[in-house]
Amino acid sequence: MHRMRALVGLLNNPVVPSIIKYAPDLVEYVDVIPDRLWYDFENEQAPGGRFHRVVGAIEELKQCATGRVLGGHGIGLSLPSAMPIDMAMVDEVAALAAELNFQWFSEHLSMFLVAHGSVPNSQAGLGLPVVYDEESFQIVKSKLEILKRALGCDLLMENGAVFTPVPDTEMTEPEFLNRLYSELHCGTLLDLHNLYVGMVNGVLSPVEYLEHLNPECVGEIHLAGGHELGGFYTDSHSGVTPREVMSWASRFGSHFTNLKAIVFEFHESYFEKLGLRGITAELERIHELAEALTSGAQEAHAS
Amino acid sequence: MLVEFQQALADLVAGPELCRQVRANPIQLRERYDLSQKEYERLVAMANHPAMECNCMLYRANRLAPLAMNLNEFCRALGPRLGPLLSEYSVRYPNTNVHFYAECDRFCQFILGKLEEGYELEPRAKEVFEEEFARIKIGLAASYSVL
Repeated sequence: MHRMRALVGLLNNPVVPSIIKYAPDLVEYVDVIPDRLWYDFENEQAPGGRFHRVVGAIEELKQCATGRVLGGHGIGLSLPSAMPIDMAMVDEVAALAAELNFQWFSEHLSMFLVAHGSVPNSQAGLGLPVVYDEESFQIVKSKLEILKRALGCDLLMENGAVFTPVPDTEMTEPEFLNRLYSELHCGTLLDLHNLYVGMVNGVLSPVEYLEHLNPECVGEIHLAGGHELGGFYTDSHSGVTPREVMSWASRFGSHFTNLKAIVFEFHESYFEKLGLRGITAELERIHELAEALTSGAQEAHAS
Repeated sequence: MLVEFQQALADLVAGPELCRQVRANPIQLRERYDLSQKEYERLVAMANHPAMECNCMLYRANRLAPLAMNLNEFCRALGPRLGPLLSEYSVRYPNTNVHFYAECDRFCQFILGKLEEGYELEPRAKEVFEEEFARIKIGLAASYSVL
């Protein structure tokens, strides 16, 4: 069996077009956050409607997309919330997915919305943890079915950075993700840095997690770096990928037979700290990883 | 009920004071929310988890982010006064607005109200506030344009 090498890419932000101009060959894939391409007035009665697109943003993305693959990476649908899915936002995401030709679409396995409010998610990765039980599974499943019908592309769910896991649940997070894959063919966006956050803060064992996750689930990997805040390590997308995270990618990644992309996430507010050279060096490191995973998988298959 | 559990968790993360109250007197979770015994026990454990402090910090940092990005000089000019003002603002407006310019406009209107009530800013801070508020108004107006 010949396995395709995973594409290497970036999570889109206002700095990414400059990086693509500087090092076009290093960026093969762009994860696009639809929520950053519009202003959401949260009200259908707003003059001109609820969603207003950011002037110039989509045209710029289309230029970046030439010769590259794009995928969608949503943060606004909050699928695990025990409330109806936001159909106006689904429609807006679907329109963008068609216009930008998203090859797949991912959302977060975290909660950002509740009936009487929301949890802001501008950076540092604060999504609230999910109760991994049958009720939550059915909520997520039914919303993914709606999303699948609207978008018509493959779907992935991303593991979040968890600081306070819900105790005593019916399923573990890998079991929940495995079930989404077996029952809906919804894959996993495996954020290895989020596992690192959990490890540093003492709430999970990444190796145990990865040993229990069905490797066929994994369609995309996210890599990133973070920093400490008030004694806790956060997913702030402020640095390069820690060595330990890369070692998990190397050790487990060759078993991810459906892996399509490996993405480096950084927040634009840390661009000066990382620098163009720092980001391109990280992309080169990820290209080496992608090559190694492909050859590792083929060697394993041959033996 | 799951919906009540999720609401309670969001309220705890948004309100360190509620966390402190629940740690001291967990039964008030039952008084505020319709929870099963298991949900109640989970929330008590989570409120007492050391990393609940991190959730609260990140919530606050994320609420500050749009202001720090778009009203950067004014936030710097406020210095240590920013914290108490942000706390007061968060209590008055517990829900975030995902439209960054709208959130900043609301914060500026809040500051205007404070000034009318007699809150004092030194001339430099006031100047910076007026400059950045004007930029927010332009950004907000531009975001209304429909393509």
